[in-house]
Amino acid sequence: MRLERERALFELVGYMVTSARNLLDETPMYGPFRLVDAVSRLVDWTGEDASPRLRGLRERIEAGKTSVMTDAAEFRAFLDELVFAIVEMMDELSPDVRQGR
Amino acid sequence: MELRDAILGRRSIRAFLPEPVDRPTLDRLVEAALWAPSGGNAQTWRFVIVTDPNRIGRLRAVSPGLLGDPPAVIAVCQDLAASRRLGSTLGETFLAIADAAMAAENLILAAYDEGLGTCVIASFHRGAVGRILRLREGVDALLLISVGRPATVPPPPVRQRDGVVLYEVQDEA
Repeated sequence: MRLERERALFELVGYMVTSARNLLDETPMYGPFRLVDAVSRLVDWTGEDASPRLRGLRERIEAGKTSVMTDAAEFRAFLDELVFAIVEMMDELSPDVRQGR
Repeated sequence: MELRDAILGRRSIRAFLPEPVDRPTLDRLVEAALWAPSGGNAQTWRFVIVTDPNRIGRLRAVSPGLLGDPPAVIAVCQDLAASRRLGSTLGETFLAIADAAMAAENLILAAYDEGLGTCVIASFHRGAVGRILRLREGVDALLLISVGRPATVPPPPVRQRDGVVLYEVQDEA
């Protein structure tokens, strides 16, 4: 692994571990926020390897994640929509499902 | 820019353009912070300005609240040993925090006046940030402020007034 890439991965790993520690003392709503933000950062880290689906997922996360700070109901709806979007994406990736099985 | 326009117009920015902020500009922001009031005029604050991308990356790794990729981060620190020496227990446990917050407000309003976006962050690992910034014994980072040209500006959140702003007393009974 090239140094730059490893450094970027450590940034993500550090983010996740520090989040685990800090969430002991922070508002519980930041737990789900940190998780989806970590997904966004993970997709970002994969760079060119990320599929258009994953890049689209990241864009959705970036567009909706900060609602946690302004509107709890909106953030909840955003997470629900994200889950459904992932189910759809996984369906697209499953030949069985595509064929109606 | 009118002060009121800055107070009402400033937003917390969490996405930045990849444009550097030059040192004279950063100096002006910290100059504004230095003119904030401090309890007993203690001025025990310390400001560490970080623009090295590698160091910012390391700060990001231990600062979950540091969102986006800002070209500069300013750590608002306090010499808590000096705060205690000058202000006793109140100085260390309260004034140091209040002073850092007032300095941060000056700084972010000055940044807005310069066309810059900022976000004040408390979600970071204090010990790890201290190590990355090589803070001296007794000095702690209390706030991190990301600084850069805004990539997106969020809409203003609702400001509550009912039950928040009161005259004379809170309970009338």
